[in-house]
Order: sequence, then structure tokens, then C-alpha cells
Amino acid sequence: MSTKKSQSAGSARAYRLDLKLLNRIERLSETQFVYVMLLPVFALLGTMAIWPLLYTANISLHADNIASADPVGAFVGLENYVRILTGEANLRRPFLDLNTPFTSALPVTLMFTAVAVVAETLLGFAMALILDQEFRGRRWVRVGMILPWTVPIVIQGMIFYLLFQPSLGFLVGPLQNLGLLSGSPLANSQDSLLIVILGDIWKQSAFMALLILAGLQSIDRSLYDVAEMSGASRLQQFRTITFPLVLPTLLVALLFRTIAALKVYGLVETVSSCNTVPTLSCLVISTWNANRYGSAAAIAFVIATIIALLLLFYLQQFRKQEHGGI
Amino acid sequence: MARAHTGDEKNVLERTAHRAVHEPDVVYRWLTYIGIGFFLTASLFPFYWLTVVALTPNRSISGLGLLPNGFNPGVFLEVFQTIPFLRYMFNSVLIAASTTVIVLFVGSIAGYVFGRYDFRGRTPLMVVVLVISYFPPVAFLIPLFRLFTGNVSLFGLPYPQLYNTPWGVVMPLSALVMPLIIFLLSTFYSQIPDGLEDAARIEGSTRIGALFRVIVPLSAPGVATAGILTFIIVYNEFFFSYLMVTGTADSWAPVLHGILQFQGTQSVAYNLMAAASIIGVLPMALLVMLAQDRIVSGLTQGALKE
Repeated sequence: MSTKKSQSAGSARAYRLDLKLLNRIERLSETQFVYVMLLPVFALLGTMAIWPLLYTANISLHADNIASADPVGAFVGLENYVRILTGEANLRRPFLDLNTPFTSALPVTLMFTAVAVVAETLLGFAMALILDQEFRGRRWVRVGMILPWTVPIVIQGMIFYLLFQPSLGFLVGPLQNLGLLSGSPLANSQDSLLIVILGDIWKQSAFMALLILAGLQSIDRSLYDVAEMSGASRLQQFRTITFPLVLPTLLVALLFRTIAALKVYGLVETVSSCNTVPTLSCLVISTWNANRYGSAAAIAFVIATIIALLLLFYLQQFRKQEHGGI
Repeated sequence: MARAHTGDEKNVLERTAHRAVHEPDVVYRWLTYIGIGFFLTASLFPFYWLTVVALTPNRSISGLGLLPNGFNPGVFLEVFQTIPFLRYMFNSVLIAASTTVIVLFVGSIAGYVFGRYDFRGRTPLMVVVLVISYFPPVAFLIPLFRLFTGNVSLFGLPYPQLYNTPWGVVMPLSALVMPLIIFLLSTFYSQIPDGLEDAARIEGSTRIGALFRVIVPLSAPGVATAGILTFIIVYNEFFFSYLMVTGTADSWAPVLHGILQFQGTQSVAYNLMAAASIIGVLPMALLVMLAQDRIVSGLTQGALKE
């Protein structure tokens, strides 16, 4: 009985304290209020994102220390970066070796990104043009088309693992007869890269399509009426109205997909293995697994630098386009 | 009937060509249908293939054609009997739901501030949030792994070991989804007229009270969109879900580890892999069918606003 009473008194006190806190927050000036309100989000981002980035940046400047208990070695400046970029780092798979492009990380990642993103853009554009039309059952067609986007990465990988399993699939035999696939495609670097690209296209074209569709639907329909009045053909309408007006959206979608594709990891790990298709993210993990913290961190920042360069290039182009009129 | 026989084949071709030239719309109509057929087949065929592989008994699985080689629906039960698959599913849902709650709560406050207040430092802070989302997950991995396994201390404070707990996945993912959700919610919240918030303030509500009693309820569709999107992203995520737990069901491993267990076993059971994949994708498929408009609007707005 008495414990219950004291408990309720305690909760009342806690409630009053709470009110006090709320009142104090209420009395803050607007600027103070804003910063107090941003505390939780920056506490979370600070511990889970900003601190890790600074820490990774720091250990990327320290030597690998495989033998001792503390895996972070002495400060070596940019040496890790130099060794990775010159190919002296002696990683599980080379960073850049043009003699074996399908087993070195940078070419593999760039090939994956370029082929997948270009294909996704073209297919996504076609899908968006279709979904922009009026027809019966349009909603259900859209569900069918975006379904691949909602598949977890591991299941996406499993699907393509099963599709190209030589002992299983009906696809492998004919493709081998055509000379497109080797005997064990999931253990062959070149074939696996192709399969992983296919898997990415299957899943991500829908994402492209949705973004482009949003751009298409924001186009003023009366422009088409004017074009039709002046006798423009469908193709001309596409060239002079649809394409230029949807281009900004298309570029944003392209940027998004490119950045995401450069980070690819899970799909590779499930379909094949990081050893067969060594993307940049894979290389970070395998280097980290070998207890080489400094080198792993440096590769991680090389990826970040590639993304940053891409962003800068994109922003510059975008600014130029804005100044150029339209 | 008789008339159809009188027109010879050349005539039919000619008429079609004639129609195509004079009514290009008909051609586009046909192109649209062909496109729909192509894309739907390409999108949905893999799901059909999974079903074929799952239903075929494992002993007759090699050299499979387009139809199942036998009929074995018991495989869907076998998935749950071979490994604690239900526990993996539960872990996944728990992780995705906790992340959604955290992201919506913290992201609401941040979205409110960024969407409705103009203050010094607003743009730089937004840029910081945006820049975080461009970094690859591998750039966060090493410190977070060391932190969660107790190998490094943060600001000299003792930190709970989160490795092999749901929080080991929830915390990093909350941070990585946060930028997208902040941008989504701030646009939704900024669309609420100032008058409504002022009215609440005059009635004696605090600023925080106005946020949770007026602004969040009024933007309920937006909040729902953000929530659904977070849930899908976390449920589908690979990187942290794979690396921040050892992979047993007891270590709070999500469903991706459950599915990979079938790939790793000595006896290769393709039918179980396929069946587990189908079960794992079902929650997402249902979600898309029920909430497709929310997902589409959230995806497009989130990406295009950023």
C-alpha cells in the first residue's frame, strides 16, 4: 500500500518536472528553441554518423597493425591512399589493375555502375512513358512494375542466384550454348558481374521510372495541345516538349542511382561472392576482415571522394544549365 | 464470315498500314500494350520462377523447365521447421518497427524546425544532414563495429555493447534514414498554414504541444508515407543488418540471415531457399498493394526535394 502511494507521488513529481522542463523550453527565444529542438537529431547523427566519419578519416591516416592488440598503427599521413592508388597496398584484390579488369575493384565498380545505370535510365524512361498513358488497370500495372523495387536485397540476390544456378536454371544451358556464359557462371568474375548487373536493373528500373513519371506528370498538358495544333508529330513533341522538360528530374534520378550503385555490396555477396566480383565496398570489407583497419578506412574514403567528385560535377552542370536559360 | 474471305491478305496488310499512317494513335496504343506486356513479364517472372523452384521437390530439381517438376507445398512449412525462421521474421519486423518509431519521432521534431522556422545556421545544418546521406555505409562501419563490440569508448563514457542486439542495427539505420525523412517531413510540415499553429498557441498550447497536437495530425498522410518508407528501407537493408549481428536467431539477426542460412547449409536445398525468399518478400508485397500511392509519392517527393 505504502509503496504504491510513494510510487504515485514519484510519478507526480516526475510529471511536474516534465512540465517545468516544457515551460522552460517554451520561454526560450526562437533561436534557442530551435537549437534545443535540434538536440535529439544531432545527438543521433553525431554518434551514429558524424563521429564514425571523423574516426574513419582519422584511422585512414594510420598504418595497418595486423599483429598487435590495437589494430590502429602509427600516424603515416596519406601513405595508405598513395599505396592504394599506386597498387602497392597488396590487397585481397587489386584496386586498379587493367590487366585483370574483372577482378580489380575500381573497374568492376565503374562497369557495374555505368552499365546498370544507363540501362535503368532507358528502361525506366520507357516504363514511365507507358505509365503516363491512360489505360484500364493502370494502377495494377504500376503495382506489378514497382514490385521488384520492394524486394529485400538478400531476396533479390537469391532470385538471381537461383536463376543462374547451372544445375537448376533453364536459362544457363541455352546461354552457355550461345557462348554467353561459362561453365560455372556464379564463380566466374565476368559472368557474375553481368548477372549482378541484371539483378540491379531488374530491381532499380522501377525506381527510375517512378521519378521520371513524376517529372512527366508535372508537364503542362496544354503544351501538347499547342504542339498538335501546329502540326508537330509525336516524335517532335517528345523532342521539343517532353524530353527538355523532364530532363532536370531525369538528372536528379540519374545522380541518385549512380551514387547508390557505387556503394553496391549486398547483391554481390548473395549472388556470387566478394572475391569473385570485388566491388569497392567489398574491398573495404575484405581488407577490414584481414585486420587492416588503416587501408580499409582509406578505401572507404576513396569511395566517398569518387561520390563527392560526381556530386561537384553534377552541381556545376546543373548551375550551368540554370544560367543557360530554358 | 463471307466478307472476311473475300479480302485477300495483301488487302489486310494494306489496310493496317493505311490505318497506321492516318491514325498514329492506334500504333501508340499497340506499342503501349506491347510495352506493358514486356515490363510486366520482366518484373513478375522472377517471382514465378521462385514459386516453380519452391514447389519442386528437391530431388527432382535439376534441369527444371518452366513448370514445377512435382508439387510439394509442404516446403513452406519445412522452412519454419528447419531453422527458427519465424524468429528471424520477428526480429526483422521488430528492427524495422523500432527504427520507424525513432525516425518518425526524432525526424518530426527536426522536420518541424527545418520546415517552419527560419533561423541562422539553417542552411549549413541542412547541408550537413544531406552530406551524411551521400557517404557509403562502409565509411561508418569500422568505428560503429568497434563501438558496439566495446573496443572503443565515445567521449570517455562507458557505452553499452550493442553488437548482437536489435539496437546494433536500429541505431545506425535510424541515422542513415534520417536525412530522407527529415526532408520529406519538413516539406509536409511547411505546407500547414501558419494560422492553425497560431490559433493553437493563442489557446495556450506550447510550441511542442502545437507540433504534436496540430501539425503532426494535420500532416498524417505525410507522416504515414514517411513511416512506410522507413519500414520498407530498413526491412530491405543489407549492409548493417548483415554485419552488426553474428547471424543466429538468438542474436537478433534479421530475416536476411535466415535466408542465407539455407544457402550455407551442406545439403543444398534450392527449394527451401526459394520458399524462404517467397515468405520473406510477402510482407513487402502486401505493403505495396495496400499503400502504393503513399510509397510512390514518398519516393518521388523525397528524392526530388533533396
